[in-house]
Amino acid sequence: MGSDDVLRTHLQELRRGTVVVASLVALRQPGYGYALLQRLTGHGFPVDANTLYPLLRRLEEQGLLTSEWNTEESRPRKFYRTSEAGEQVLDRLLTDLAAVQTSLTALIEGAPR
Amino acid sequence: MTTSLTDRYLAATLRSVPTARREEIADELRASIADMVDGRTAEGVDAATAEREVLTELGNPAELAARYADRRLQLIGPTYYLAWQRLMIGLLSTIPAIIGVLMGVLEATVSDNAGGAIGKGIVAAFNVAVQIAFWVTLIFAIMERVGTPLNRPEWSVDQLPDEPVERDVSLTDVCASIVFLVLLIAALPWQHFQTVVGDGVRLPLLDPALWSFWLPALLVVLVASIGLEVAKYRARRWTWPLVAVNAALNLAYAVPVIWLLTNDRLFNPDFVARFAWLRDGGIDTVARISIVVIVATTLWDVVDSALKARRAAR
Repeated sequence: MGSDDVLRTHLQELRRGTVVVASLVALRQPGYGYALLQRLTGHGFPVDANTLYPLLRRLEEQGLLTSEWNTEESRPRKFYRTSEAGEQVLDRLLTDLAAVQTSLTALIEGAPR
Repeated sequence: MTTSLTDRYLAATLRSVPTARREEIADELRASIADMVDGRTAEGVDAATAEREVLTELGNPAELAARYADRRLQLIGPTYYLAWQRLMIGLLSTIPAIIGVLMGVLEATVSDNAGGAIGKGIVAAFNVAVQIAFWVTLIFAIMERVGTPLNRPEWSVDQLPDEPVERDVSLTDVCASIVFLVLLIAALPWQHFQTVVGDGVRLPLLDPALWSFWLPALLVVLVASIGLEVAKYRARRWTWPLVAVNAALNLAYAVPVIWLLTNDRLFNPDFVARFAWLRDGGIDTVARISIVVIVATTLWDVVDSALKARRAAR
C-alpha cells in the first residue's frame, strides 16, 4: 500500500461520521437527496451519491429524519427533515465533536515538539 | 417503449431490495438519478452521456442495493470468524485423517492393491474434508445472516495460557506422525497376507518366522511411538524425558531391523528366491540402502528432538 493509499484510508475513517452530522445539520431545512448532495459538497463535505442516498433512508428508519413527498414541482421528490429525535442526537454529536476538537487542541499545545 | 439505461439500472438495484420498500426506493432513486442527469446536462453534457456517467457514479447495482438493505457484503464477519476458524481447524485436523486411515486400512484388508488402498484413503480423507468445510461454512454463513448469538462467555484474563510458551509441537505434525505410524502398523500384517508376486500368488515380504518374536516386538515399539506422539502434544514441546524415550524407541526399532537386515533374516527367503535380481545379490543392495536410510533417519530424528528440547528449555 502506497503512502497515498494510507492517507486516503485515514481521511476516509476521519470523515465517515461527519457526513451524518453534516446531513442532520443541513436537513434542519427540508431537502431532497440531490440538493443535499450539492449542498454538502459545496460546504466541503464531499460524499458519494451511493453513500448518501442509502444513508438518508437509514437515518429515516432510525427516526432521526422525517420525510414527505413533494409533488408540486416538475418531478416528485422525497424531502427529508431532521426530526425532534434527530435534533437530540445531533446535539450530542456536536458536543462530542467539539470535545474532540478541544482535547486535540490541548494535546497539541501540551505536547513538546 | 424502449427500456432506458435508468430503467435497467433501477430493475437491477431493486431486485435484491426487500419488497416492502421497493416501490418507494424506486421512486426516490429515479428522481435522484433524474436530478443528477439534469445537473450534468445543465453543464452542457448531452443527455445520453450524462445518464451513463451518473449510473457509473452510482456504481454496481448489487452494491447499492446492499447499502439500501443494510446487508453485509461478507460471508462470515468478525463476530463469527474466530469461532468458525477454531471449529474448522479442530475438525479438519482430525476427522479427515481418521476417516482416510480407516478407509485405507479397510480397503487394504479386502483388496490386493496397496497403491489402491492408499489412494482410496486419500480420496476419502479429501471428500470428508470438503464436506466438513462446506457444511461448517454454510451453517456459519446462515448464522451471520440470521444474527444468531454465539453465547460464548466473555473473554477474561483467566483464560490466558499458564505459560507464555508457544506450542512447539503442532497438532498437524502430531497427526501426520500418527497417521504414518498407523500405516506402518497396518503394513506389517498386510504384507504377510497381501503381497502379490504375480499370477495371484501371494508371499509374505518379510520372513514369517519373525512373527514368533521380532515382528510383534516391532509392533509394540510402533504403538509405543504413537503414545510418545500424544505425550509430546500434551507436553506442548520436547522435554528431555521425551527426548530420552524417543531415542530409546528409535533404537528399539532401528537396532533389531538393522541386525535382521545384516543377518539376512528380515526378508522372506521364498520371496527373495522368486525374483532373479534379488537372488543374484540384489537383496544385499536393498539391505545396504535400507540400513543407510534407517541410520540416517534415526540419527536425524534424535538430533532434531534434542535440538528442539534445548531450544524449548531456554
